[in-house]
Amino acid sequence: MDAPPVFRRQLLDAIPRLRRYARTLTFDTAAADDLAQQALERALSHWQQFDARREMAVWLLSIAHNAHLDTVRRESRMTVTDPDELQRVQDAQGADAGTDVGLRMDLRAALASLPQEQREPLLLVCVEQFSYAEVAEVMHIPIGTVMSRVYRGRLALRSILEGPGHRRPVPGVQLKRVM
Amino acid sequence: MTDGVERINDELLSAWVDGELGPVEHARVQDWLRLHPQDMARVKAWAADRAALGEMCRPLVEDPVPAALAKTVWRRRAPSGWALAASAAGLILTGALIGGASAWHWEQQQHALEMAQLRTQLAIGTAQGWVERAAFAHDVYVAEPRHAVEVKAQEEHLSRWLTRRIGIPVKLFDLREHGFELVGGRLLPDGPGKSAQLMYEDAQRHRVTVYLRKPETGTDAEFRYERHGELGMFYWIEEGAGYALVGGLPKGVLLALARSIYRQHPGTEAPAPASSASDVPRR
Repeated sequence: MDAPPVFRRQLLDAIPRLRRYARTLTFDTAAADDLAQQALERALSHWQQFDARREMAVWLLSIAHNAHLDTVRRESRMTVTDPDELQRVQDAQGADAGTDVGLRMDLRAALASLPQEQREPLLLVCVEQFSYAEVAEVMHIPIGTVMSRVYRGRLALRSILEGPGHRRPVPGVQLKRVM
Repeated sequence: MTDGVERINDELLSAWVDGELGPVEHARVQDWLRLHPQDMARVKAWAADRAALGEMCRPLVEDPVPAALAKTVWRRRAPSGWALAASAAGLILTGALIGGASAWHWEQQQHALEMAQLRTQLAIGTAQGWVERAAFAHDVYVAEPRHAVEVKAQEEHLSRWLTRRIGIPVKLFDLREHGFELVGGRLLPDGPGKSAQLMYEDAQRHRVTVYLRKPETGTDAEFRYERHGELGMFYWIEEGAGYALVGGLPKGVLLALARSIYRQHPGTEAPAPASSASDVPRR
């Protein structure tokens, strides 16, 4: 049986979030759209597994997570972002107006240098505003693991933002804020 | 650090930032932070990071959805590579999805989606891939005012040439009793093989096409009719030849034409298919 229109409509509505998530996974717009495409195709062929009472974005992102892992395994490439690629993304996106570019670049670079296993849960929590339980579902890991990875991701992000170029914070002194 | 309050571990502080704690734990962390400005400072920095990450990534959801992704969502199950290509070709025909996808407004996109859906149904809603190909080939060439055919009807070698290429006898069916004159024909790719398309036109310039191919299996298949929007088609398999008649005409008219073609099938009259194939010049 083919996926019903209601399901397709929900899927369509979730595309922007799917793409955003894919972009934070791949740091490459084209690769992100490939990933999004794969995730949509998988979602369509497994639509019967979707529980309509649940959040579409959680389900779809979990599919994208799996697809991404598959791709990474297949290509057996590093999951670390290529610095040139990162620069390209920054150049492309630093151009859009709005918030302080310096901050965005800083934060973006810091984010990109986090290991995937920390970056992903951190982003799902901070950007998608998923609960730990939802992140656990997306990444197929226990909630306790989500909690510790989010924490370690935060620490790592802080230490990068406060790292070279910034004075090492002395314990007991108010931490230097970068933003 | 024991100040009479139970030490709160760092992961719990982090979870507090994300609003993940139950009321009891939440209050406990609150109490702890009140007494520990250093932890309070860390927690505030994390909260600021959380907000900054959210802010940084927020605009990404505002990008327009690329047409290809939206189209994927409306596509029917298990499309073949060809069907995708064909539906893309169909889209180009309708002109709905050409050009800068990023500049689209939502309404335009909706319209395009509906067209895509229609196209997609046309491409995939049929039982057999070759029928889809017949429909798309029809669409592509019927729209051509001057280059509708590759070889004109007047050229004698049309039948021989197509017969030789697609490996089944191609007869130039006579549909004049229904008011349709043969315009000509062309050779087409048909998946891994080849097919032939014959085009007919009536005085009102209605065009119909007959798509012929050698089927994968020798099994005959009965007449079937499908309609997609304006386009109707009859298709069947008869004695080792697959036929699809396609046209934007009422079912009755198409049926009459299909019957006429069926009656003129090379196998139903002398010379038999074997001998008619034998007088085809070989290279």
